[in-house]
Amino acid sequence: MSSTTLTPIKETEGLTLKKWFLNIYRAVTSVSKGMMITMKYAYGVKPVTIEYPEVREVLPENSRSRLYNDAENCISCYQCAVACPVDCIYITATKRDKDADKIKTSNGTAIRLDLVQYTIDTALCCYCGLCTTVCPTECLTHTTDYEFSQYTLDSMKYDYLAPDIRSWRDRIVK
Amino acid sequence: MDIKNQEKLHTDLLTMNMGPQHPATHGVLRVEIKTDSEIIAEAIPHLGYLHRCKEKHSENLDYRGIIPYTDRMDYLAAMNMEHGYCLAIEKMLGTEVPKRAEYIRVMMAEMQRIASHLMFFGTYAIDLGAFSPFLYAFQDREFILRIFEELSGARLLYNYIWVGGVWNDINDSQLKRIEKFMVELEENVKKYHSLVGENAIFIGRTANVGVLTKDQVYDYGATGPMLRGSGIDWDLRKTRPYSIYEEFDFNTVVGVGAKGTVGDCWDRYYVRVFEIFESIKIVRQCLDGIEEGPIMGKVPKVLKVPKGEIYLRTECPRGELGYHIISDGTKTPYRVKVKSSCFTHVSMLGEMAPGQMIADFVATIGSIDIVLGEVDR
Repeated sequence: MSSTTLTPIKETEGLTLKKWFLNIYRAVTSVSKGMMITMKYAYGVKPVTIEYPEVREVLPENSRSRLYNDAENCISCYQCAVACPVDCIYITATKRDKDADKIKTSNGTAIRLDLVQYTIDTALCCYCGLCTTVCPTECLTHTTDYEFSQYTLDSMKYDYLAPDIRSWRDRIVK
Repeated sequence: MDIKNQEKLHTDLLTMNMGPQHPATHGVLRVEIKTDSEIIAEAIPHLGYLHRCKEKHSENLDYRGIIPYTDRMDYLAAMNMEHGYCLAIEKMLGTEVPKRAEYIRVMMAEMQRIASHLMFFGTYAIDLGAFSPFLYAFQDREFILRIFEELSGARLLYNYIWVGGVWNDINDSQLKRIEKFMVELEENVKKYHSLVGENAIFIGRTANVGVLTKDQVYDYGATGPMLRGSGIDWDLRKTRPYSIYEEFDFNTVVGVGAKGTVGDCWDRYYVRVFEIFESIKIVRQCLDGIEEGPIMGKVPKVLKVPKGEIYLRTECPRGELGYHIISDGTKTPYRVKVKSSCFTHVSMLGEMAPGQMIADFVATIGSIDIVLGEVDR
């Protein structure tokens, strides 16, 4: 193999005494100009960061965080599961007995199916909000609760019929 | 062998990998470089570390479900990604978008452009060894993200622009806050430019580095600030207006080689930073022109796009983004091909690198302003 020696494409100009002093002058003036701006920020500007675990930011009302399904108002229409682009909503519903009491949601829609399973895999969820917009009874909503980390992937599957998840309706960690 | 006689010494190029975990490659880009000590002889970019099969996924999703996926392409300019996609679908459907929605869309797209360019400004300063400009830029970007969060509910991946309009309406207090912030931002960006762009060390690192001539950018098909940085006046918002851009009065920023040759890293930096001012102009005109009215046009509940195909391109912060959508008349598209500008720009690294020092190469990668999410999709 032949030996290779490359030369850089960026040309370096010859240095004269005048240029040398001019360089120093330019560097000092522009750096001091920059330092002036930095100093203005260092003193006289209020801190913009918050100390997170002690101080928590309140998210805007329509912020899209953890999903919550109010299972009592759910009519098992499957629309959320169809709209979901990542297919993370699992619904099982059985037909309601004819003899059973007729129940209605809070906005008056008749419930014709018994919800057996309503699980959302929160680890898969991409928080796009498409499921909440198609919900006819508006029982599936995004909450502003953003602290729900778990130790295992399995525990990210939230079964909204289980009492411990249902009690998270208004939960916001404080 | 006589050591003093250097010509007889056997030397060879050293092959190295820069990345994928290199902080200066902005994500997961691996560049295989062949070097002679500090000087690069050849650079080969390797892509695909962030490939998520977006185009294949799109073939199995309904037209609305694709919007969250387009967000995830260029996650720093998600509004612009959605905007292009929705424009393409609307053109196929023949939907008329209400005027208010159009104004909100353009305003959001321009604010996203500001946020994206601020991000470039911050990370480019970090690449060249200055840390505090990054924090200043983030302070201003934070306001924009806050407005987006209040409107759409998310900070980065909005799903805000929908086929036919936008999701939520903007209220007067938010408009006032934006107006107030634009005054602040204009002053701040001037300050930042004097802090970084006029700095002697910054000029020394970027002027005459990574020069792209007009012929080179034409050959590779570069778009956006890369093209304008090389002195070509081409902006889709101006030359091929889409949405309602023809109503607005703004200038395109073109690199003139103020600190070195035309098409060097400093010019690309200059184009991006001064585009912020032009975007501020557009946002102000939006604030003046916005009118009351509905925010959603008439769109069927189940979207079935008529048979046919379309290619639509929009001007995104990083260049032109093209959507080639083929519909077979069903609920899901037959094909959604995305032409990304970053993909083109990454391939230009091999053209710029030979003969550069490694430190200059870092400056060159930074000046391209790539987002690997858009390169690999």
